Amino acid sequence: MCTDMSLLLELQMRLRRAVLGGDTAEIVTAIQGEGLDPAARAGIYRHHAFATLGDALQTTFPVVCRLVDKRFFAYAAHEYLREHPPHSRCLVEYGADFADFLARFPPCRKLPYLADVARFEWALNIANTVRKVTSLQAETLAAIPPGEAAYVAFRLQPSLSYFASPWPIDTIWQANLEDEVPPIDLTTGGASLEIRRAGEAVVWRRLDPGTFAFRTALADGLVLAAAMSAATLRDPAFDLTVALRHVFSEGLAVGFVVSPKQEIPR
Amino acid sequence: MTTRRPIACGCVGIGLRLPHVSEIAATRPRLGFLEVHAENYMAETPALDRLLELRRDYPVSLHGVALSLGSAEELDRGHLVRFRALIERIEPMLVSEHLAWSAIGGAYLNDLLPLPYTEESLDLFCRHVDEAQGALGRRLLIENPSAYLRYRYSPIPEPEFMTELARRTGCGILCDVNNIHVSGSNFRFDPMAYLQALPIEAIGEIHLAGHHVAEDVDILIDDHGSRVVEPVWALYAAALRRFGPVPTLIEWDTNLPALEVLLDEAHHAEELAHVHRYVAAA
Repeated sequence: MCTDMSLLLELQMRLRRAVLGGDTAEIVTAIQGEGLDPAARAGIYRHHAFATLGDALQTTFPVVCRLVDKRFFAYAAHEYLREHPPHSRCLVEYGADFADFLARFPPCRKLPYLADVARFEWALNIANTVRKVTSLQAETLAAIPPGEAAYVAFRLQPSLSYFASPWPIDTIWQANLEDEVPPIDLTTGGASLEIRRAGEAVVWRRLDPGTFAFRTALADGLVLAAAMSAATLRDPAFDLTVALRHVFSEGLAVGFVVSPKQEIPR
Repeated sequence: MTTRRPIACGCVGIGLRLPHVSEIAATRPRLGFLEVHAENYMAETPALDRLLELRRDYPVSLHGVALSLGSAEELDRGHLVRFRALIERIEPMLVSEHLAWSAIGGAYLNDLLPLPYTEESLDLFCRHVDEAQGALGRRLLIENPSAYLRYRYSPIPEPEFMTELARRTGCGILCDVNNIHVSGSNFRFDPMAYLQALPIEAIGEIHLAGHHVAEDVDILIDDHGSRVVEPVWALYAAALRRFGPVPTLIEWDTNLPALEVLLDEAHHAEELAHVHRYVAAA
C-alpha cells in the first residue's frame, strides 16, 4: 500500500535496490504477478539499467573495453555500477571514478596499465564535453604590481587535463584503435600528457618534465612562485619567462586571482 | 538544397541519432521536425554544434528522459537549470517528459520506472510538473509509459491519471501509441479503450516505434529497435481519427538501421495522416 510520500519513497528505494542488483525480495510483495513472477518483472528493469549504463561506460572507455574484451568489460561495469551508480542525468558524465575502481578491482591486477588507460580516456571525455573558453591575454597581467606577480594563480581552460603514467599510455591507446594492434614496447617508459579541446577536436601531447610540473601545479591552483618551484625541482634549467609565454600563446589561461596567502614551498 | 518547411500541424519527424547526423546535414531530407533526447545535448560536445547547425533548417523537439518527475523527493534543480539553458539555445517546437521516475537518493537509474497511481502520487507528480513548467518557462508534454510491472496498490487507471494531470497542471500529453500497445499486451487491457479515455484537447504529440517480443516470458519490450508493427499503425490511425492531425515522431534508438528506413516509416505515417485529412474533410 502506498498512502503517503514516505511510503512512495520507501517503495522507490526498494525498486532502486532491485534495479541495482540488490535484493528483489523487498519489492516483489508490492508488485502484481499477472501471470509472471514479480521478481522477473523487476528483473526487466534491472536488465535495462545494467545494459544501457554498461553501454554508456563502453562508449566512454572503448580502449579499456578492447583491452579486456567485451565480456569482461561487461562484468567489470556491472560490479562498478552496483557500487557507483550515476549521479548526473547526462550519461557522458558517468564514469569519473571508473579508473580508480579498476585500479582496486582484483581481476584487473594482471593489466597494471589498465587504470591509467581509463584515466586517459576519461580526460579525453572531459575535453570532448567542455568547450574552449576565451583565453586570457598576456597584456592583462601588466596591471599586476610587480611585488604581487609571484602570487598570481591562474584559472586554466576547463577542458585541460594533466596526467602522468609510468606506462606509455598514449601509445597503448593509439595502437588499440587499429584493427590489427601493432606490437607495443611497454619498456619505453611513461608519458606525461596534456589533453585538451582544440576547436571540435580533442588533442593531446607529451610534455617535458619541467613544463608538465609547472602546468600541473597551475592546474591545481598553485601560485606562480609555487609552480615555478615545482618545475625547477624537475628541471633545474626551467625558464619561467619562456614557460609563461607558451601558456599565453597556447591560450591555456582563462583568468587569474592574486593569492598572497598561499604558502610557497622552498 | 531544400528550403525550410514551416511547422505544419500533423507533420512527421524522426528521432535524430548520431550515426544519421552527417547524412541528414548533407541530404536535408523533407521532414517535419527532428527530436532529440535533451540529456544528450547538455554538455558542450561537438554533437551539440551539429544539432545547432541542423536547427537552422529543422524545427527541433526536446524530449527529456531524466527529469524524474515522479521521484518522491525534490526535483534536481541543477538539471532543470541545464534543461532551461538548452531550451534557450535550441528554441524547440515541443518539450516533453515522461510519466515515470528514474532517480532516487542520489542514484540515476537510466530507466523510466513505473509509479503507483494513487491520489498521493498524482499530487506529487502535479507539483513537480508545475515546478518544472515554471523553471523551464515552457509547457511540457507528458508521455504515457510502457510498463512491465504494475503495483498491487495503484487504484487510478493510467489514462485517468494522465487526464487529471493535464487538467490540473495545464500540461499536454504525448501519446505514445506503441507504449499503449506494449502495456496493453503486457497487462491485457484494450488499447483502443485507453485511447478513447485520453482527453482530445491535451494531445500535443504522438510517438511511434517498434518493440521486441520477449517470447520466454510473453512480454513486449519497448526497445525502439525495429519497424512499427501493423497493430500499432492501426492504433495510430485510430488516434488520428480521435485527436486529429498531431505532430508525430518515428523513434528508433537501438539496432539503428539506415536513415532511409526511418524516412520510409515517416513517409508511411504521413500517408496515414493524409488519408485521415481526406476522410475528415469528406
